[in-house]
Amino acid sequence: MGFRSFVFRRSIESLITIFIVITLNFYLFRIMPGDPVSIMFNPSISPEAKEIMLKEMGLDKPLLDQYVIYLRNLLRGNLGYSFLLHEPVFKAILERLPNTILLMLSSNIIAIFLGVVLGALAAWKRGSVTDVSSIILSLSLYSMPMFWLGGMMILVFSVQFHLFPIFGIVTPGVEYSSFWDYAWDVLRHLTLPMISLGVGTFGGLFLIMRNTMLDALTEDYTLTAKAIGLKNRTIIFKNVMRNAMLPLITIVSLRLGFMVAGSILTETVFSWPGVGLLIYSSVLAHDYQLLQGAFLIITILVVLANFIADIIYGVADPRIRF
Amino acid sequence: MFRHEISVLWKRFKIFMDQFMMSRLGVFGLAILTVFISLSIFAPYLSSYSIKASEGNIHEVLKPPSNRHIFGTDELGRDVFTLIIHGGRISLLVGFLATIISGGLGALIGSIAGYFGSWLDDILMRITDLFLVIPGLPLMIVLSALLGRSIWNIIFVIGILSWTGTARVIRSQVMSIKEKPFIESVKAAGAGDLWVLRKHILPNVLPLIAAQMTLQVGGAILSESALSFLGLGDPTHVSWGMILHYAFSCGALSSGCWWYILPPGICIALVVLAFSFIGYAMDQIVNPRIRRR
Repeated sequence: MGFRSFVFRRSIESLITIFIVITLNFYLFRIMPGDPVSIMFNPSISPEAKEIMLKEMGLDKPLLDQYVIYLRNLLRGNLGYSFLLHEPVFKAILERLPNTILLMLSSNIIAIFLGVVLGALAAWKRGSVTDVSSIILSLSLYSMPMFWLGGMMILVFSVQFHLFPIFGIVTPGVEYSSFWDYAWDVLRHLTLPMISLGVGTFGGLFLIMRNTMLDALTEDYTLTAKAIGLKNRTIIFKNVMRNAMLPLITIVSLRLGFMVAGSILTETVFSWPGVGLLIYSSVLAHDYQLLQGAFLIITILVVLANFIADIIYGVADPRIRF
Repeated sequence: MFRHEISVLWKRFKIFMDQFMMSRLGVFGLAILTVFISLSIFAPYLSSYSIKASEGNIHEVLKPPSNRHIFGTDELGRDVFTLIIHGGRISLLVGFLATIISGGLGALIGSIAGYFGSWLDDILMRITDLFLVIPGLPLMIVLSALLGRSIWNIIFVIGILSWTGTARVIRSQVMSIKEKPFIESVKAAGAGDLWVLRKHILPNVLPLIAAQMTLQVGGAILSESALSFLGLGDPTHVSWGMILHYAFSCGALSSGCWWYILPPGICIALVVLAFSFIGYAMDQIVNPRIRRR
């Protein structure tokens, strides 16, 4: 199979998945006990506003008609209206998405760095104190509730030592003299959530990295490299690491769901204004249109990211295409 | 009638336990778990304080550890140690019950897909892939928010959304057992599919299912704590997640009440770690893929 048909097949599959997710998202919020009107709307909403929304979503029509209306609204980028934020759901999510992406990307870099370096080190020195202690460390971090880890970091670094701000993304009410001032403030706010999410999620990555490295270390090419007298460092970085990198692409995409969960919890602990915090506030306020929209966008993004990871994997390892 | 089966099972169990006791990690995990299960069982006898919100001592609110309250008190004047040992009951209960649901579902779906193959396998694996790609926690949040805050809903939600891993492992194991010569000869002797599944496949994958389920209990406890933390927990029951929820929402963090936040998190981490160790040790013994290494 050529590369093009591989990409074609994967895109069709992803589109089908997205379609199923959209359908699931629609029906979930309709088949739940209780009447949809009171589930979808805040009781405190004015009767006129309720009337308008009922019309817009066709809640007085049969379920199938509602579904068609939902799809049509979706295509127009209309995910409903949030009574909590007094703005359209789609706009609210788009505004906060960059914050979530910033948090997830930066913490992923930390997690990958820790996982790869520690994994390589542990595999190279198999059975040593370094190996055993890094296994225990990663397992312990993996076992902690992620939000608790964040809370402990706040307790130590913010409350006790006043090193970092406790919550938010910028200091409220501050006028910045330059962009760099602003960036510095964001970075100070980002540090703790980034580290807590990165450290909290690197465990699985470390274990898989250590395993693939162990496999690669026993391969014939490693033996050959040793036999011709290459230095240890050259062997690790040039031969072993390069071959162990391949599974890393899949792991990173498999970790996505885990990262999403982690970022919802971390954003909530640190009041980081991203989509995760949005999900938390929508649950708290029973703003189900907002919850439904945020769930949809997050899931679609995960499906897309999986698709991209698959394509990259297809480029990196031609065997997968067949 | 079942005496023979029971004695075979008992013998197998003894061989298994002998191997298990050789694993330092497994024994360590078992020891931690035994401590926590005992604390949970005997919770009412270990402390004379009440966990009822109305029976807290309002003169001792958010007090640090002392002789009378070894883990201090919470924002309602309740003894934190008492909350912890009672919370263990709910957290462990949720972990076990959710795992029974997810393990049962995973074993069922995995063995049907693996044994019957063809289109049934295709459909079931498509569904599994779909659940693998949809991020778990957000879906749990949506479902629990819609179903309402109750401990049974939480168990149900975690149970029906955590079976994918088990299904995949069991499927591949069933597929490899199915190809073995003894299955062929049993079939040639006229055994039906159900008979083969029940009498020959199931006994062979049961240990693997048990190992998978053990590994999952920790995940279920973590999911419960996350849902409770996000305000989706059952307000009428105290679990470790709920204690953390109350601690975070009453501002224990910014007022530096470490004694209120530290213990529940450590308990969750220890129990999850214990289940991982036990599951890992079991997996080493029963999983043929690992054993071969």
